[in-house]
Amino acid sequence: MSVDARPALVEEEVLIARAYLGRVAEPGSLAVAEMIEECGPVESARLIRADDVPDEVRSATEARRASSDGRADLEAGSRNGVRLLVPESPDWPHFAFAPLYRAQQLRLTAWTAGALAGRYGGEPTVPLGLWVAGRLSVAELGLRSVAVVGARAATAYGEHCAAEFGYGLAREDVTVVSGGAFGIDIAAHRGALAADGPTVLVSAGGLDRPYPAAHRTLFDHVRESGLLVSESPPGAAPHRQRFLSRNRIIAALSAGTVVVEAAPRSGALNTAAHCRLLGRPLMAVPGPITSAMSAGCHALLRQEMEPARLVTSVADVIEEVGRLGAGRDPVDGRASSEDADAGPAGSGLASAEARRRTYDALDPGARRVLDGLPARGWVSEDGLAIRSGIALPEVLRAIPVLRMSGLLESGPAGHRLVRPARSRPG
Amino acid sequence: MPMARTFAATLVGVRGYPVEVEADLSDGLPGLTFTGLPDTTVVEARDRVRAAMVNAGASWPNRRITLALLPADVRKAGSRFDLAVAVAILAADGAIPVSALAGVGWIGELGLDGRIRSVRGVLPAVMALARAGIERVVVPVANAAEAALVPGIDVRGVSELRGLIGWLRGESPAVARFVADPTSAAGHPDSGGGLDLNEVVGQATARRALEVCAAGSHHIFMSGSPGAGKTMLAQRLPGILPALDDEQALEVTAVHSVAGALADGGALVRTPPFQAPHHTASMAALVGGGSGLARAGAISLAHRGVLFLDEAPEFQPAALDALRQPIESGHVVLHRSGGAVVYPARFLLVLAANPCACGAPRDRDCVCPASARRRYQHRLSGPLRDRIDIRVDVEPVTRADLMGAVAPGESSAAVGERVTAARAAARERWRDYGWATNADALGRVIRSRRWRPDRWALDPVERALDHGLLSARGYDRVLRLAWTVADLAGHPVPDAGDVGEALFYRTGRAAVAA
Repeated sequence: MSVDARPALVEEEVLIARAYLGRVAEPGSLAVAEMIEECGPVESARLIRADDVPDEVRSATEARRASSDGRADLEAGSRNGVRLLVPESPDWPHFAFAPLYRAQQLRLTAWTAGALAGRYGGEPTVPLGLWVAGRLSVAELGLRSVAVVGARAATAYGEHCAAEFGYGLAREDVTVVSGGAFGIDIAAHRGALAADGPTVLVSAGGLDRPYPAAHRTLFDHVRESGLLVSESPPGAAPHRQRFLSRNRIIAALSAGTVVVEAAPRSGALNTAAHCRLLGRPLMAVPGPITSAMSAGCHALLRQEMEPARLVTSVADVIEEVGRLGAGRDPVDGRASSEDADAGPAGSGLASAEARRRTYDALDPGARRVLDGLPARGWVSEDGLAIRSGIALPEVLRAIPVLRMSGLLESGPAGHRLVRPARSRPG
Repeated sequence: MPMARTFAATLVGVRGYPVEVEADLSDGLPGLTFTGLPDTTVVEARDRVRAAMVNAGASWPNRRITLALLPADVRKAGSRFDLAVAVAILAADGAIPVSALAGVGWIGELGLDGRIRSVRGVLPAVMALARAGIERVVVPVANAAEAALVPGIDVRGVSELRGLIGWLRGESPAVARFVADPTSAAGHPDSGGGLDLNEVVGQATARRALEVCAAGSHHIFMSGSPGAGKTMLAQRLPGILPALDDEQALEVTAVHSVAGALADGGALVRTPPFQAPHHTASMAALVGGGSGLARAGAISLAHRGVLFLDEAPEFQPAALDALRQPIESGHVVLHRSGGAVVYPARFLLVLAANPCACGAPRDRDCVCPASARRRYQHRLSGPLRDRIDIRVDVEPVTRADLMGAVAPGESSAAVGERVTAARAAARERWRDYGWATNADALGRVIRSRRWRPDRWALDPVERALDHGLLSARGYDRVLRLAWTVADLAGHPVPDAGDVGEALFYRTGRAAVAA
């Protein structure tokens, strides 16, 4: 597909063709993907329906070749508020799927062996289309998002960690991506929702049938404030292959994947494998060594080839994934990883650079109050209000903010400016 | 056989209960026997009533007199039954018509000369009689105004037994029904004791904190050197609180009446009470207790008002700890072998302390080591400090302030108006939950999606949690304070500024997690 010459709107016949193709072929069929690459979706659909296809395409599409032409699916979708996003759409997340596209183009031999296809749920191809519903902008998925995945049979510890991570990441405006399953997935989604933050749920079945059914309310909440995504058309039931293939979507739509808890043969390890194949940071949360549900994570941490990175906090995750956007306040008061002059923890403002960044990040009211502090010595709240000429309520509300930014310190005698540390020689 | 029956009332805590008084005269050794678990004072009535009757011109029946105070299994205490006893005996003896007793309640103590003297707790006693369907009460003159506070009851005030007997026999003109003086019955809605907030020089932060405290009923801790003005500020808090409504006024008047603390004239207490027990006060004086039937403590006398504990760390730790339960529940239960007594105790707590035991006039003059300061501050137990929503430092007044360099602060009336408006907004908001102030709101509800401020407003608090400046419990408290700050500003929902200011009040200058 050519990235630069995109039509402003997707033609209806393209949508219908892609809907048909999505129903006819199982996700992860390299042969079908290549055919579409060569002939385009509309022509490919015609050829498949006419059975005028090479053998490898036929074997992938034989069973459902005669199904409806895709209009029914589109209509079912629009009845449920679900739309089909296709590579021809202006908001298709090309960036997120770029590695898959590359792998598809290169026909990397390890995968075409097919033996691994079963383990990965099909070859790592770009999705033919994605059914989506919800508020979030799809185009930016993958830029500032992290997948939080893990076992269905999670322990209370695992669920706690997943919820905390979901919450903490959402508070940092990082989109939380997961699969909506029992255990770790739903805990992560709930954590993000509790922080009024964005979350993406990638479902294995059609979006009109929440799976598991018990999570219907969760699906509704995510649809309201986040995004529901599925490769399966409306009405499709989720079966094992689709669970595995949707994991590659989860991994692709995020800048990194965190495995919170996993048994040695957990499906979450499949997502971890996709993450590594995509070349993105893989992270794992440790647990008690006596716990079977952490054994999978520990194995990921120990493996010789590109082991997962150990994370214990949201700050760790953000550090691993790298600069997810510029100009953010340091999490937990620690300087961000690129601040070379950072002092010991807690004195992250040792460098003038960090101080200036923090100062710039203040709201105007707090900045005015800071500017009103005397250069030396303590001052009471009343005194500060009089000195700076700012109304007392504004002074009061700025004080905790300035304290937390490390620019002001408080004591029994009042408040005073924190002097920058003198730069050390050498 | 000659017998008479009439009504009186007894008190258990702040609640009154009707008591039937029966007198029976029979043959046998002359004497007066009480039944119905009388305490010593009641039994002593035998001698009081006898002397009073004789000195009032009546004769003491030389019979065996049995006096029953029913229900027989409830303890009776005090001298309040004297009048009922005398009247019952007189009626049984035929000295006054039995019909004069029907449907009437009698309350009063008798002096040996026949004087009818005032007693405590007339208001709850009369309320109890009214509830029992009694339509007329006869009380000492000094208690008549108080008795008349009970709506719909016919009150007759009497001053001596001789005149009463004459009235009941029809020989003297009847004692007229007591009519309350309208001005005194309405009470005095102005600020307490003529103290005004504009008398406080400077202290803008502390005055603002006091306003927030009053508007949301948040407990407050003031830290400052001696002479900084903490007491002055605390004394002016009742003046900015809204006046008591009818129900609250009756409650408070009842408590004060029972404690014997009502001003003469028996007017309804309309202004929030102010109690400032000294730090040497015993647990019983503070919380209530004492031997026999438990008496109200300072916390109950401060019901619907302000309890000011100056030099808080100097109080007995056990006494301070005993405050925790009433702060949570709004009442105190005092257990005695005879039963439990419940006193109301819903008060606004104001704690004041010096920053250090040395009591230096200015904080910078204090040279004590940090550990000594910390030890002094920790004499207030963690759980008690945790229930304090607002912490404010009160600085000594600067010379510039004293010499009038700063404009004088607002008057109590002006601040009081804002407080009343803010409280009205809060009451309206929590109407469905039945809460009166933001401080009453349950944490679970305040944190729920419906009432939670949006995430931009919450950001300062979230960061405070991250930085360890605030504990999870403190989080709830800051949310409640934020609603109060928003109410004072007239905001429908707290914004980031309101939340930020609330965060300041909860954390103050302290380094430890709030």
